[in-house]
Amino acid sequence: MNLFRSEEHVARWLDSRGLKAGATISSAKLGELAEAWWSDRLADDWRPRTRAESQAILDRLGLTGEFWQLP
Amino acid sequence: MDDLELRNLVYRRFVELGRAPTREELSTDEAALRRLHDAHWIVLEPDRTEIRMANPFSAVPTPYRVEANGRSWFGNCAWDAFGIPAALGVDGHISSSCPDCGEPIEIDIVDRRPEPAGTVFHVAVPASGWWDDIVFT
Repeated sequence: MNLFRSEEHVARWLDSRGLKAGATISSAKLGELAEAWWSDRLADDWRPRTRAESQAILDRLGLTGEFWQLP
Repeated sequence: MDDLELRNLVYRRFVELGRAPTREELSTDEAALRRLHDAHWIVLEPDRTEIRMANPFSAVPTPYRVEANGRSWFGNCAWDAFGIPAALGVDGHISSSCPDCGEPIEIDIVDRRPEPAGTVFHVAVPASGWWDDIVFT
């Protein structure tokens, strides 16, 4: 789960290692995802999310399709 | 102290110390930490009962250094690095470098948004396999 300067850099990095592409999103979308995923982590009333709750976060942000399906 | 209280203590101490708390600092035993690991609430080192991750915080240096609230931590990955200011509820700064070309990547998180825009985040492993090897993921 890495940050790259651009999609071109992702493609070159994958190619140089013979790796298959996963999913690429903008840093702005990553910011939204991080906020939704982690903002409760230090709360005194934290409780573990269910799989459905975690999947709902991904879905709400448009991170859909087989790649983003949690087990 | 029940497991949830211990988990919250791990996180509180991680924030206060800027590093993972030791078992002695938590006044707990190996079995309790192992239960948190098995629940995916923290991640232990593979060969010993020491905390490796309390996501988004990393106990070991990584390519994702985060400054926030006058302290610094390491995120386990880019997602986690963005998650540290989110968890703290403050602005922050992320220092990393492009894995392809090695050029520095410096990002400010201001009002929950990264600046400058333009960098991209690549996830290699599908969500179904994130916990198969969380250190690699």
